[in-house]
Amino acid sequence: MSTASPPGEPLSTTIPVGEPSGTAGTFPLHLDIDSDTLASCVACGMCLPHCPTYRVTGEESASPRGRIALMRDVAERGEADDAFVEFMDACIQCLGCETACPAGVHYGHMMEATREALATQTRYQPRSRRLAYRALGMPRLLGFGSRLLGLSQRLGLMRLIALVGRVRPFRQLAAMTASLPRVPVRQPPLTASGDDVWLFTGCVMDAWMRDTHRAVQAVIESTGAGVALPPAGASCCGSLHLHAGLAADSRRLARKVMAALPGEAPILIDSAGCGATMKEYGHLLGTDEARRFAARVQDVHEWLAARVDDLPPDASDADGAAPLQIAVQDPCHLRHVQQAHLPVRTVLSRYFEVVELDDDGLCCGAGGAYSQQHPEVAGAVRERKVAAVERTGASVVASANPGCTLHLRAAGLDVRHPLEFVAGHLPAREA
Amino acid sequence: MPVGYGRVVVSEADCAADAALLTDLRGVLSDRARDNDFERGLYSRDGSIEGSAPAIVCLPTSTAEVAEIVRICRKHRRPFLARGSGTGLAGGAVPVGRPVVVATSKMDRIVEIDTANRIAWVEPGVLNLDLSRALAPKGFHFAPDPSSQQVCSIGGNIANNSGGPHCLAYGVTTAHISALEVVLPSGETTVFGGLDAEPPGFDLRGLFVGSEGTMGIATKAAVRLTPNAPAVRTLLLDFDDVSEGSAAVSAIIAAGLVPSALEMMDQRAIEIVEAFAHAGYPTGAAAVLLVELDGLPGGVDAGVDIVREVAQRHHVGHVRVAADDAERALLWKGRKNAFGAVARIKPDYYLHDTVVPRSRLTEVLEKVYRIADAYGLIAVNVFHAGDGNLHPILAFDRREPGVDERVKAAGRDIVAVSIEAGGVLSGEHGIGLEKRDYMGMLFSAHDMYTQDVVRETFDPDGLANPLKIIPTGSRCSDSFHQNVPEGAWV
Repeated sequence: MSTASPPGEPLSTTIPVGEPSGTAGTFPLHLDIDSDTLASCVACGMCLPHCPTYRVTGEESASPRGRIALMRDVAERGEADDAFVEFMDACIQCLGCETACPAGVHYGHMMEATREALATQTRYQPRSRRLAYRALGMPRLLGFGSRLLGLSQRLGLMRLIALVGRVRPFRQLAAMTASLPRVPVRQPPLTASGDDVWLFTGCVMDAWMRDTHRAVQAVIESTGAGVALPPAGASCCGSLHLHAGLAADSRRLARKVMAALPGEAPILIDSAGCGATMKEYGHLLGTDEARRFAARVQDVHEWLAARVDDLPPDASDADGAAPLQIAVQDPCHLRHVQQAHLPVRTVLSRYFEVVELDDDGLCCGAGGAYSQQHPEVAGAVRERKVAAVERTGASVVASANPGCTLHLRAAGLDVRHPLEFVAGHLPAREA
Repeated sequence: MPVGYGRVVVSEADCAADAALLTDLRGVLSDRARDNDFERGLYSRDGSIEGSAPAIVCLPTSTAEVAEIVRICRKHRRPFLARGSGTGLAGGAVPVGRPVVVATSKMDRIVEIDTANRIAWVEPGVLNLDLSRALAPKGFHFAPDPSSQQVCSIGGNIANNSGGPHCLAYGVTTAHISALEVVLPSGETTVFGGLDAEPPGFDLRGLFVGSEGTMGIATKAAVRLTPNAPAVRTLLLDFDDVSEGSAAVSAIIAAGLVPSALEMMDQRAIEIVEAFAHAGYPTGAAAVLLVELDGLPGGVDAGVDIVREVAQRHHVGHVRVAADDAERALLWKGRKNAFGAVARIKPDYYLHDTVVPRSRLTEVLEKVYRIADAYGLIAVNVFHAGDGNLHPILAFDRREPGVDERVKAAGRDIVAVSIEAGGVLSGEHGIGLEKRDYMGMLFSAHDMYTQDVVRETFDPDGLANPLKIIPTGSRCSDSFHQNVPEGAWV
């Protein structure tokens, strides 16, 4: 029963978020988030316009403020229902809300803890999805599958993919492939050139977009540095697992990655999603070793921006012509999580005219596996990004994250990694 | 046991009627009428600290749908209230009496921009800053700019007659609304005001702006467009003494300047704002003034000199003039996020909104600090000094036993000292629930009776956002007395 606040009565101190139900459809759920953290949100609402799902739905349940209120409610009641799972699953985890939050609320950690509780205590992540995520940590399987995909695309054998998709564990992967551009069949291996820095190559990105790594490596080497490459096996950073609530898998992969990249050399990342997760290994594993490792991790643009004067001058033959205009799309994991989006501009503007979007870094809707799992919302979010790009008038877009790149390419934009643009303007290399 | 809400009685039998109400609403809105516990909880509060759950949440997308919702509510004799972004600070969008919440967030289209006539037609869910950004390429903006402008909606601005830092020079929302399409509590749709400079007849548009949803729901607004100034300068002045800062405020206005904004922050506010914005606010200062001047370049530069000179007479520490738009934006980012940033001290805040004569700022500020001390609370002051609009923030943790009584008592004392100093209840946040029961400090019983008569003219059934603004018991009709809640003022 709701009550007004008649004169003289105290302000209501507990805000009923929903009424206790204890009825059919609920299940026990223990959320391991302390009450100070849950109380840190004052519900001012400043996050709302920076949340992509609120932007496209206009619904509180799709807002960070709303999700925190729901977490608080479930934490107090110790039970949840399917609606709660749906509301939590609808978050892209872009963390645009954290950048906007005047109170410094750690929404990302709360959402990760909630997803982990759902994954460990409920059937939130079915076996099929768990296996698909696990495949990311198996480079040989991933490579084989990718070559199969590339061949199928070339031989017009997409029916084969549909067939593979009938096998439950591969359903996710097969669905994903439907929206993919051509995947390479053969990719020449990368060759290490020294030990000044590590270039982390990752899982899907190495299988599908190795040419991006090649361009990144060339740009790093153009400053005079030698690049070391991880051995096979250090394949996946565990980012997608963490976002899916599969924290145990994520920790296992993190330990593998740490073992594969020893020493003191900086670890450079050309995928914003991987960088964001690897910088958080200290929080994920809670060990000094992990914190030391995380401190070595840098987005490749951060490293290059500190050496921007070492980059060679523009070698393109466009004498006197106005520089190419490039619209910069900030991956959320670069801008909102790593706060490392400005170095991209430092590097690009040495060669090009950087054009800014006017959307305050609102997410593009890719969100790792999100665009496959919530195509409708992801599509609506992407429409806003495409409109923002069109408003700039630029014909090409730079994005420092493979997920965003693929997602935006599928909407017809010409999107490349920032350093792919730069690599094309470097002087020809002596063989 | 029936619980009375003025003229609206909700009993447990009425609760059972929710199902019939939902069926009718679903007929219009399909799955955009929600009754699950989670979502009802999410719409149980706004940016203030009170809350109670609505019966049903509706998410309409058109005027026709809003009109249908209102007609259905009438048929079921169920209260309804409009809600924009839910950032209000006076409880105006808090559901009372198990009502239907009509959230306008999906009605967010800018329908038409007519720069020749300096008018834009917008839906109520359009966000204030989105509108100004859409207008920017054409050289215009929407002048009212509440601190929450990035998230608050035009509909909410209309309901509360919202202000903002730049309203010092440009006037509050009512000065920027030309016409309104309104769904009346009867379910009819009409237009108040017009596009002419002076539409004939009573100014019902003026009456509606600030009525906090008690006279119907605005479904479209013709807003006036303000040209962007050719030159803008933003200055940050710091003072070792709060009273010197507030004396400088009066002196700047007395010098004949009307800055476009004239804001003040005290030491605690400076610290929390700097922790969020990293804008270089001087964390050691007792107070800062954020002064903005706009207009033609020559006039603005002359204004900067006057401000500098006045400030020096009041022993200003430093005068920092923002070098470019980026620095200006950073300074404003700090100011406009001050309230939420209070969570860096305590997880809850209670924000007041009184207005006092500029000349008495110093004295009232001192009393505010004393009141907070007396109740063992922390007061943070960040406010529109230029028009004497105080925003004392009381920071607290609602989990502390008994703290809510202390917060409420301190709030009441702050209102009392403001009114004693010749001030008023609210500058821009509205009355809502929060200040409803303080209306009697400012208005006589006869004043409130008259206001209630006006309100009843629009809403004879008392279904439009009931029990807000006017204290229960302001009218002396028999039917009303039967349902007065216990303890209400009669």
